[in-house]
Amino acid sequence: MLKFYQVISLLMFCSNISALQVNDEVPVCNAKLEGLEEVLDLNQYKNKVLLIDFWATWCPPCMQSMPFLNTLRNEFKEQGFEILAINVDEDIFAAKDFLIKYPVDYPVVFDSSGDCPTKYDVKAMPSSYFVDQSGKVRVIHLGFRSADEDEIRTIVLKLLKEGKNELSQ
Amino acid sequence: MNCRNSIKRTFFVLLFVVGSLSLTGCAVAPWERGNLAKKQMLIDPNPNRSALRNHVFDSKESSQGGIGGSGGGCGCN
Repeated sequence: MLKFYQVISLLMFCSNISALQVNDEVPVCNAKLEGLEEVLDLNQYKNKVLLIDFWATWCPPCMQSMPFLNTLRNEFKEQGFEILAINVDEDIFAAKDFLIKYPVDYPVVFDSSGDCPTKYDVKAMPSSYFVDQSGKVRVIHLGFRSADEDEIRTIVLKLLKEGKNELSQ
Repeated sequence: MNCRNSIKRTFFVLLFVVGSLSLTGCAVAPWERGNLAKKQMLIDPNPNRSALRNHVFDSKESSQGGIGGSGGGCGCN
């Protein structure tokens, strides 16, 4: 009976083993840039603090977060901060229409196949992954409310400061 | 006989656990909820219209219904 429980526990453990954890390397996935030709290359964001934001047009908190994220990105861009938005709409054109009406300054890539959210183990919409200069996922923030703005800003500032300290050493 | 019962019990427990675990396969991933988020997928897609209809229904029936509509028999609030 003990062995039976051991096997079941192992099976349950294995079902979660592939989930992305804090301090893991940022996963590579098949999201496409706006031209739908070029595939996302995360290497271009090395040595930057990166916020990877999963969003969709049907998700009201995602829409709510975008003006704030745009302001945040423009505020800290010169200090080495960038946002990469991954749209997960099944209908890419709905997302493009939305971006024409409500443009953002940060790059947006599209993944209607679900490859990226699967690799990042997205648990809620929107989900924000804060990646440090070394390419490690440091914080995973689920959902968005206006009350989260200060917390997000603090995380970005902390990661930017860490990067500066590493450079000065 | 005891051994047979024990095997039977283990088999059913195993079946139950495997069945329970396989139920997670029916879950809709958070990023796949675009269709579920559509207005027409709501149980009550037009709550204002439903509230008005309930109100009219309650008023005409001269009594409060069991569906949460407001207003009495006179037609007023």
